[in-house]
Amino acid sequence: MGEKIVLGIESTAHTFGVGIATSEKRILANVNYTYRPPSGGIHPREAAQHHSKLAPKAVKEALEKAGISPRELDGIAFSIGPGMGPCLRVGATVARALALSLGKPLLPVNHGIAHIEIGRLTAGCRDPVILYVAGGNTLITGYLDGRYRIFGETLDIAAGNCLDVFGIKAGIGPMPAPEECARRGGKFHPLPYRVKGMDVSFSGLLTAALKALEGGMKLEDVCFSLTETVYSMLTETLERALAFSGKSEILIVGGLARSRRLGEMIESMARLHDARVYRVPDQYAGDNGAMIAWTGVLYLLAGQMIHVEESRIRPRYRIDEAEAAWREMGL
Amino acid sequence: MIFEAESKVIRIGAEAVVSKLEWNGLKLVSKHRVPKPYRMPDLDKWVRDRRTLHEAKIISMLKKSGVPCPAIVLMDRSESTLYMQFIEGTELRNLLHDLPKKVIEALARSLGEIVGRMHLTHVAHGDLTTSNILVDKEGRLYIIDFGLSVVTDDLEELAVDVHLLDRSLDSAHHSIREIFMRNFLKGYSSTVGREQALKIMEKVKEIRRRGRYVEERRKKH
Repeated sequence: MGEKIVLGIESTAHTFGVGIATSEKRILANVNYTYRPPSGGIHPREAAQHHSKLAPKAVKEALEKAGISPRELDGIAFSIGPGMGPCLRVGATVARALALSLGKPLLPVNHGIAHIEIGRLTAGCRDPVILYVAGGNTLITGYLDGRYRIFGETLDIAAGNCLDVFGIKAGIGPMPAPEECARRGGKFHPLPYRVKGMDVSFSGLLTAALKALEGGMKLEDVCFSLTETVYSMLTETLERALAFSGKSEILIVGGLARSRRLGEMIESMARLHDARVYRVPDQYAGDNGAMIAWTGVLYLLAGQMIHVEESRIRPRYRIDEAEAAWREMGL
Repeated sequence: MIFEAESKVIRIGAEAVVSKLEWNGLKLVSKHRVPKPYRMPDLDKWVRDRRTLHEAKIISMLKKSGVPCPAIVLMDRSESTLYMQFIEGTELRNLLHDLPKKVIEALARSLGEIVGRMHLTHVAHGDLTTSNILVDKEGRLYIIDFGLSVVTDDLEELAVDVHLLDRSLDSAHHSIREIFMRNFLKGYSSTVGREQALKIMEKVKEIRRRGRYVEERRKKH
């Protein structure tokens, strides 16, 4: 069996990305265009317009960068979900068109699993308990019997969303602004700390932080208290999941994996349990095409393709609904 | 430690260490919420203090309602430690295999009444498994570990107690599980009333159908 090459399309939220990866664990291209709204959060329809405008360019650039012709591809992967419907539809449409016109298998990648798999590949760990933290997702998971099982997750908004919205409403902008601002603070103000077993909740925390700011507390101190609380909650639930799963590796993936302070805290917790911490490299932390391409390679090797007629997007697709058959194959 | 006595660790949980000690002939357990070095000291202290206080409050509420659980002897807030009555008993989990059917029926029914009373006190335990239920020599039941409990009337949270109990009987024989839950519900229903018991059971079924009962909670927010 020769080297398999897969092109992967990411299009779940603000980023439209095209990556190319191979079964020899090579990333040949990773081209990403991110929609930045003039103000406020992402509007799904505006992001989708951005994506459809840039899609042809991104595909062309990725192929050029990889130095291959479309004929050499062995499969087309795309994020089937979870994500924002209008954005997902753009990526799915491009992927179907490519797969049909080239006559290649279509690979329906779960976006969350792609974050995990690019993390396992680039950070080099085998069987970790995973903290997946980003603007739209917060969950603690690990592999068991054919699937990534969810040990814990947020009951309302994502950790990244909590920090982003706070930053935007406070006028300093989304992450990493709140964390940078927190470094100039130092006075701790108690905010709702909601850990329920291995689940967390952030919406009350966000409201309380905004109230504290309105109440005249220094922005630096609110940022400090908020980030410390969010990261402590995540670290505590991760600690429980580590004990529960009996694993000895921790992997941090998703946009918030870039946070220095969160990394420090998790390192400190891991030392208590003789566990090793792995972090996805910054260039693969946020949404990107390469992670879809690489996970597409795994899907291809495990035979997880899909017919075009069945390739309807899945905006609420949970990672424990997706099979991860390659793990049984030792991949 | 406030009591001058030797202590022996009997349980190490996610956030607390439980030890047994004897002081002037009095058998006690201490539940110490340990500092977490990864949390900033102010935050760490605040979280541990709040949880200790919360657990003590819940236990005293339950004691007043006659729900059998270990009495609190002393709370040492500076150390985030609760000192409680030591209950000479065995975890229900370890007894299920050996007891005769008649005894299991009686235990299950009595547990149903106790959990019913706890729910009438608006407390959901949050981790109601057969490891958190003790049986003493006289066959009396006690509920322990209120670390995850909440004061609530939310049907869902109350139903999760029943669901977790049922799931924790997983390791027991299928027929035991069936007999246990049937009698548990008799006791529960006789305490909270038939109508409320039916509502709870409807919720339990729904939770079971959902698998990991998350999708629904998310929609609520």
